This record gives sequence, structure tokens and C-alpha cells, in this order.
Amino acid sequence: MPVIDYRHVLKGLTVQEACRRQVIHLSPQASLEQAVRYTIKYKVNAILIVDDQGAGLGVVSKTDLMGAYYAGLPISTSCEAVMVGPPLFCQPQDSLDAALDTMRTHKVHRLYVQGDAPFQALGVLAYPDIVGLLYRYCNRCERRVRLASRAAEPPPDPFLVREVMTAEIHARQEHDSLQEVMEGLAAYRFGAVLIQNAAALPVGVVSKTDLVVAYKHGIPTAAPAQRVMSSPVQACDGRDPLVTALKKMIIADVHRLFVYQDSSAKLVGVLSLSDVARFRSGTCRACLVSRIKI
Amino acid sequence: MGLTAREVMDTSFYTLSAEASLAEAVRIFKQASREQEQAVLGMMVTDTGGQLVGLLSMYDILLLLRPKHIHIWGEMQDLEMTGLLEAACRRAGSLRVGDIMTTEVITITPDTHLLMIIDIMIKKHVRRLPVLEKGQIVGIVYLAGVFNHLLQRLAP
Repeated sequence: MPVIDYRHVLKGLTVQEACRRQVIHLSPQASLEQAVRYTIKYKVNAILIVDDQGAGLGVVSKTDLMGAYYAGLPISTSCEAVMVGPPLFCQPQDSLDAALDTMRTHKVHRLYVQGDAPFQALGVLAYPDIVGLLYRYCNRCERRVRLASRAAEPPPDPFLVREVMTAEIHARQEHDSLQEVMEGLAAYRFGAVLIQNAAALPVGVVSKTDLVVAYKHGIPTAAPAQRVMSSPVQACDGRDPLVTALKKMIIADVHRLFVYQDSSAKLVGVLSLSDVARFRSGTCRACLVSRIKI
Repeated sequence: MGLTAREVMDTSFYTLSAEASLAEAVRIFKQASREQEQAVLGMMVTDTGGQLVGLLSMYDILLLLRPKHIHIWGEMQDLEMTGLLEAACRRAGSLRVGDIMTTEVITITPDTHLLMIIDIMIKKHVRRLPVLEKGQIVGIVYLAGVFNHLLQRLAP
């Protein structure tokens, strides 16, 4: 459990306080089938590919696995054929701010934390880990605790979901093919596609996780989206405090919530764990000092 | 002691298909436990040709059901838990045995000595070892079975 700095959200925190110590890895010769299995079993979005000495050579992410599925590669293909390398590393003592900057600059969702030897990973830092820390941080904020104990004073002004969400949704029809779904995901760099019925009502979501599972199960890419989609759609109100949505994502074990407005069925955006991590400002305006422009 | 796997292994065992759904696997676990009158917490997984391709244990299923960020739950107040378990089970229901099974399986032969079996189980933290003869499954050795045999030897 990290020591909590009560003054600045994420300021002063280091990578070693937020990173996950379990690094899921495979050899370059391992099959994509094994990579898919590991992403499901260990609930990770990427696998580090290492050599015989444990040095990181590359990364196979769910995006890469989805690309292999789209391209029709046999699932027996080795990881080295699709891995992206070299993996990006940071140091355990690096500030979380600096690590987030690196992730944003290189447009990656994770950094590996270097151990004693070059390219040896002792941990991994990904957006969900940062969000977990953020939640704990806000929960222990002395300002929040102090104000909560004084009933006469209003609580700190919370951020609302609509202030942090991505105000853009990529949707497909339930009869559209998985191939079309994957094309949309690749073009818009989204993690999931909203699936609608003929009446344009949301009926499900197809995420990269659903697609890599479909790949492993041998479902043809011409199959309709409704065959693999997850339902119901996990959603929240744009007026909800950010902390409420964050809690819902953590509890429901999902990486994103679709956002509706004014309790209507119309969805207006999507809030992902990545959005929350990139926002960096905690869940209320008590921490504006650390806020930076996204 | 000249005891080998042949003397301690169970030759009556259930197997799971890698293509079976997790719901189906759990049904077979329950059936096996009922018929063997003891909790069966792990099973061998075979392909269509009957070849061993992995092991599925209750631990694998529990790992799947455990929420990823549960370490933060302890700091949350007013947790609304209704329906969470059902949602986790619903998500798991679409998966198959082959999606979460362990494929790095240590196997032994019928002639593996009991002391060697104990050593493997301790060092590798495994509770069951498939027994193969010429590549075919002929039995499975359970930790409890080994222990029961040892008890007989230690205090006949």
C-alpha cells in the first residue's frame, strides 16, 4: 500500500507505487492461441514476449491479436510474427506523471518497469493500475474526509462523468460482421464498439476481449456482431460524479461505461479507465493544482 | 519402499473436453464429486483424440471469477453487491474449458516412485499428476491419495 500524499493527486507518486508486480510473459515461439488464453486467464490486455534469459523482446496486445484475427492468421501462428517491439520501459523510481507522459507520447497503454538488468521487467504499469491508485488516493484525501465530517459544509465539488468522457461513440448494427466491427475499432482506436438494433437502441458491446475469444473459438469473421457481443450495455449518467462511475467500473470489472444524458436512452459518450487515468486530477476540484491539460 | 504411481493412482477418472463450456465442466465436477463421494477439484482435459492437453482446476475457475480490482474493494463504502456474482458467472459462461485450462502439465509414468511424486508435488505446488503410458492417460495421482498411502506405511 503506497504512502498517500494528501496534497497533490498523483504528484510525487512513483511508478513502483502503482505498478503491478505480476508480468505475464511468453516465449516468441508460443502460439497466438496461448497468448489469447493468457489474456483471458490472467485478465491482461497484453503479453510480454521474452527471450530465454527473460529479456523483453516485444509485446502482443489484444489489438495485435485482433489484427491477426482480422488478417486470417492461423491461431497456431507464433507470437513473434505479430509482436510489436521493443517494449517500452520505465524505471521504478520514475514519477507517475513522467510515466503517463511517456505513455501518451508513444500512444501505448502500458509501460514495463525495468528490473536490475536491461529489458528485464519486474512489473507493468497500465491505466487500470493508475486508476486503482487514484481511487484509493481520493478516498483517503484529508480534505474530503474533513469536509465529510462537517455536515454543514458542502463536499468538494466533484468532477462529473461528462467532463471526462470521450464524447464520441462508434456504433454498429447487430447484423454487421465482426470484420466490419474490427475495421471500426482499428479506424477509431476505440477499445469497444456499441452494438445497436434496427431501432438504433443499444443492445450490446463488442470489445477486443470478445473478439480475441471469438478468434480462439474459431468463429468466422463474417459472423454477425450479435453472436459475440456482451450484454447488457454497462452505462452511467453523464451527471454522475466521476467517483461513482469509477466505482461502478471497478466493481463490475469493466474497462468502460457508455454514458447517457438526462436519463434518456440516447448514449452520448464513453468513459474508459484510460480517460480517467489520463485526466490525472482526482475525482474532485480539491486537486486542481495537479491538473494538466489533456 | 517400492511403491510407484501404479499402486497409488486412481484409474477411474473423469476427463473434460477442451471444447466444453465452463458451465458444462462445473456440472461434470459436481457429478464426479457425487459419484466418487469426495470433492473433485481438478480434472484432466483431453482433445477429441483422447490425448491430454491440459488440466482444469477449481483454482482456474476461481481466478476467472475474481474481479481484477478486488484489492480496492476494501476501501469502498456502500458497496452495491447485488447481481455481481451473477454477472461474473454470466461472463464466464461464454468461455470454454480450453480458454482457461493450464497447459503446462507435469506428467508421470506408472513407474514413477512415490518419493519422486512427493518431491514433484512439493516443489511444483501441484495436487494432482496425470499418469501417462506411451502417451495415453492411464490414471491420475492425487495428493490425498499419496498421503493416505503414506499414512498406512507410517502407522500400519
